[in-house]
Amino acid sequence: MPGDSVLYSERPEWSDIQPIAQYETVTPVAPIFYSDEYKDATGYFRAVVKANERSERVLQLTEHIIRLNPGHYSVWQYRWSTLLALGSSLEDELLLMDELATTYLKTYQVWHHRRLIITELGGKSNPARELRFIRQGLNVDSKNYHTWAYRQWLLAHFNEDALWEGELPFVEEMLDEDVRNNSAWHHRFFTVWQSGVRAGEEDREYTLNRELSYTKEKIALAPNNGSAWNYLRGVLDFTKTSYSTLRTFIEPYTAPRDESEPEVLDLDNPLPSKDAQLPCVAAIEFLAEIYESEVDNAKRAAELYRSLAEVHDKIREKYWNYRVGEALSSAGQVVAS
Amino acid sequence: MSQASPDELRLHRTGHISHALRCLSGLPGSLTSLDSSRMLIAYYSLSILDLLDGLSEKKKVIEQCREWIWKQFIHSEVGSGFRASPAVCVDEHAETPSSIDSPHLIMTYGALLSLAVLRDDYSQLDRSGIKRLLRSAQRPDGSFSGVPNEGESDVRMVYCAFAICTMLDDWSSIDIDKAITFVQHCRTYEGGYSQVPGQEAQGGTTYCALATLYLSPIPARLSPKERVQTIRWLAWNQDSGFRGRTEKPPDACYSFWCGGAMKILNADGYVNVAENARWLSACQFRYGGISKNPTETPDPFHTYLSLASLAVYQPKVPDDGDAGPGFDATWQLPDHDLLINARRETAEWALLHIPDSPRTESD
Ligand SMILES: [Zn+2]
Repeated sequence: MPGDSVLYSERPEWSDIQPIAQYETVTPVAPIFYSDEYKDATGYFRAVVKANERSERVLQLTEHIIRLNPGHYSVWQYRWSTLLALGSSLEDELLLMDELATTYLKTYQVWHHRRLIITELGGKSNPARELRFIRQGLNVDSKNYHTWAYRQWLLAHFNEDALWEGELPFVEEMLDEDVRNNSAWHHRFFTVWQSGVRAGEEDREYTLNRELSYTKEKIALAPNNGSAWNYLRGVLDFTKTSYSTLRTFIEPYTAPRDESEPEVLDLDNPLPSKDAQLPCVAAIEFLAEIYESEVDNAKRAAELYRSLAEVHDKIREKYWNYRVGEALSSAGQVVAS
Repeated sequence: MSQASPDELRLHRTGHISHALRCLSGLPGSLTSLDSSRMLIAYYSLSILDLLDGLSEKKKVIEQCREWIWKQFIHSEVGSGFRASPAVCVDEHAETPSSIDSPHLIMTYGALLSLAVLRDDYSQLDRSGIKRLLRSAQRPDGSFSGVPNEGESDVRMVYCAFAICTMLDDWSSIDIDKAITFVQHCRTYEGGYSQVPGQEAQGGTTYCALATLYLSPIPARLSPKERVQTIRWLAWNQDSGFRGRTEKPPDACYSFWCGGAMKILNADGYVNVAENARWLSACQFRYGGISKNPTETPDPFHTYLSLASLAVYQPKVPDDGDAGPGFDATWQLPDHDLLINARRETAEWALLHIPDSPRTESD
């Protein structure tokens, strides 16, 4: 539609309106050299706002401007109040949003407008359909902040067990596609830990073990994945579980692969995948933290941090040296350099 | 003496100054999406010029900017403040603007600082109107929306509200405790902060959250344990430049958001300054301006935030001798006020001239 439409100034059905040009009575700062189409449409928009007109043609006009500039929040705002004033079909509006949200995925306003529609529809809305729509959006842009935010809002807003039920399988699908998708890991945390305890999830010990196994498996698959490590730490912190409980799992990740040793299959402690790059920085850090929490092991912790500073993660040299200092000072020892 | 040797990197100061001046004088139609944030273009462009000393001798630009910015100061039913542009002004002489022509918190923050760059005396400022705007923009959950009762409300606007209260030196119009609680709820398991509670941790919103907590007149700073976790998350986000979220590629603006957040937490000593500057150097566009990454085109937002990051993290001149090319004298930038996000003298100007002083005799 943008580009090939007839200007409003040439449309007989708009001849009753006198467009209002943008007020720039002093030398404008950062003026935009608008297209004729945009200049024409916004001129008529200002005129209908001045007249406080609420009509079908206002809906057409605002849709047109939104297609030219989807981030124009004042136009969205006027469109919304016009829809309400006219009692327009919000189901139709949602269909239009299906299209606009796909085209203008990165614009906050398309998601905000959608939220207004769903809230207004209340019991008449179909949140399960929304979840499916979001999934399609994530196919196009799997880390889009607005899309994920909308999903989290939707789940919390309706808070229905039937909706929550599909979230873990959904997250797993997303992580199967990209195990480094931090938005999906975050959503997992949101679903499992931050949204109350739902029916079937009362056994928190079981939930904890399930989450640890899942995360370990994903770390084994791709050890140098900050998202999985942050999730692991998040789960342990949240459940106040000691990092030391993962020591057996962590150790094979902290040193180069030992080819001579026969591989023993231990389902609780999956080994790094064959092509994994070892040693893994996050694993060394994790082991160092385990040492730090133990009595008399500060020196070993410091040694590990020092190996990160000097060999394995030199970009963060200063950071790891600070961790060396912290490890030694918390143990009441003098920093040996 | 300051002649760069071929293996030294240069900050293309004159190119960045022209980029900012070009943006102030006009933007192509392809940037129509910026129609609702022209005030911010002005703020970023003027702040670029401020950091690079690009405004001396530019009397006409200063006068025009000042005049246009004040034209955007409006009084509405919900309070007074600056709007983004006259894009939805339907009658310049009307007593009250139309319902959608509203002052905006982010634009008000940007305009107040722009005027400080221009060394305006704020004699036209309706302080009580701004306080009314702040009051009507705060939501029951403690957050603020940009426009009262409309649209987005999140930690970015909370930051703007706190920065404005700091500049006004007046906190009487907002509920500080509630706002702090809102910000604390944005903290995630990773140690960063999200835009609203429940969402993913992100660099920009983490800067906003921390700056809010450290501007607060009520003690609201992180616990030692939280601080350690946040520093860890920020440090992990450095990958030459900084990324905004775990496992995402770096983007120049996060050199300020994440780097700035580190400095707020007094952890600036753990940033790899040379790597950060080398990444930003690579993001410089051949014809001026800095882009989000070396393959994109520049914009004033990424240009200013990159320069602000460099002002906070000055690469050593000459280089401290680590591997990789060094830096010449072009990288020297003035002191920067981290919590207000402006050149130090500019922030000081704002703090000195915006408050309602001297008090009137009738007090
Ligand atoms: Zn960016």
